[in-house]
Amino acid sequence: MKTDDLIGLLAADSVPSAPLHPARIGAMTVAAIVAVAGLFLALAGMREGLAVVMQRPEVVAKTLLPLILFVLVLPWALRQVRPEAGAPHWGLLLLPLAVAVGLFAWAFATLPPEQRFAEMMVSAITECLGLIVLLSLLPLGLLLSRMRQGASVAPMRAGALAGLAVGCGIAAGYSLFCTKDNPIFYVIWYGVAVLLVTGIGALAGRRLLRW
Amino acid sequence: MTTREAEWSALLIAAMEGDGRAYARFLGLVTPVLRGIVRARGRVLGPEAQEDVVQEVLIAIHTKRHTWDQSAPLLPWLYAVTRHKVVDAFRRRGGAVHLPIEDFADALEAQVEGDGMAARDSAALIGRLDARSADIVRAVSLDGQSTAEVGARLSMSEGAVRVALHRAIRRMAEMAKGRDG
Repeated sequence: MKTDDLIGLLAADSVPSAPLHPARIGAMTVAAIVAVAGLFLALAGMREGLAVVMQRPEVVAKTLLPLILFVLVLPWALRQVRPEAGAPHWGLLLLPLAVAVGLFAWAFATLPPEQRFAEMMVSAITECLGLIVLLSLLPLGLLLSRMRQGASVAPMRAGALAGLAVGCGIAAGYSLFCTKDNPIFYVIWYGVAVLLVTGIGALAGRRLLRW
Repeated sequence: MTTREAEWSALLIAAMEGDGRAYARFLGLVTPVLRGIVRARGRVLGPEAQEDVVQEVLIAIHTKRHTWDQSAPLLPWLYAVTRHKVVDAFRRRGGAVHLPIEDFADALEAQVEGDGMAARDSAALIGRLDARSADIVRAVSLDGQSTAEVGARLSMSEGAVRVALHRAIRRMAEMAKGRDG
C-alpha cells in the first residue's frame, strides 16, 4: 500500500472520535476503590472504637499517609495517558517516605524491645498483605483497562504509578479495619503490600499499555 | 511554527468531528515531515523499511488521535507520538535510534522536496490482514472506492463495511505495536 493510499484509508475511517478524559478515569478509579474498600469494611466491619483510637497520631497516620500518597500519585498515573507526559516529580515521594521512616524510628525508640516486633505473626502479615493486594486487583484492573485508551510512552512507569495509587487508596481503606497500630508493623507491611501492587501494575502495564 | 500549529490543530479538530477531507489534508501535511525525520535517522533501514515506519507512525497517529488534549498545543503531542513509534519501529527492526526534539523542529522547518518515496508500495501491513479485510482495505485505499460502493459489491451494509474497515486499521496498529518498554 502506498502511503497516499493509506492516508485515504485512514481518512475514510474518520468517524468522530471522542477526546480522552483523564479526569473521568480518575473519578471512576476513586469510585472503584471506595466501592471495594467500602464493601470490605461493610462485610468485615470497621475496627471497634475507631473514633477513640483515631485520637492517637500514629493511628491517624496509618490512614492519612496512604491517603495522601493516593491523592498525590493518582494524578501522576492519569497524566501518563498522554504521550507528551514526562516522568513525575519522584522527589515528592521522599516527603511521605520520610514521615514513614520517622514513625518507624519513633516506635522503635519508644517501645520496649519485646513489644517492637510482637505483632509480627505469619497470620497477621498474611492478612495484611493478602487483603491489601487482593482488594487492589479489581480497581487496578479497571484503571489499567481505561488507561489502555491512552497512549503512554512509558507503559511500565504508567502501570507502576497506577499500581502505587490504587495500592495506597486500598491501604487507606483497609487501615480502618486493621488493629495493628504499631508503626513498625504497618510501615513495613503496608509498605510491602503497596510495593507488591506497584510491581503488579508495572508488569501489567508493560504488557497492556503498549501501543 | 505557530501558523503551522494553528493550521494543523484546526484541521485535526475538524477531523475529529468527522471531517474526512480535513483529516486527509492533515495527514498529507504531516507525512512529509515524518518522512524527513525517518529518513534522516534511519539511513540503515533502506527506503522501503523507512516508508513502512512512516506508515506505522501514521496509523499510530490515527488510532491515538483522541489522546490529544485539544486545549493543549498539537505539535508536542505529535512529536511525542512520532518519537515513540519511530524509536519503537527501529528497535523492532534491530536498530537503535536517538531522536532528539531538535530533529522534529528541523523537519518541520525543512522545505519539503518532491520525492519518489510517496509512490513506493509497501505491503508490510496490508499483506498480513485476512483476505476479506485486505479486500476492503484495498478497495477503499487503492481503488478509492467509497464504503457504500464496497458494501454493494460485497453485499454488506455500509455500516458493516465501516466497522470492518475500522477493525482492519486497529489490527494494523496491533501489528505495528511495540514490544517491552
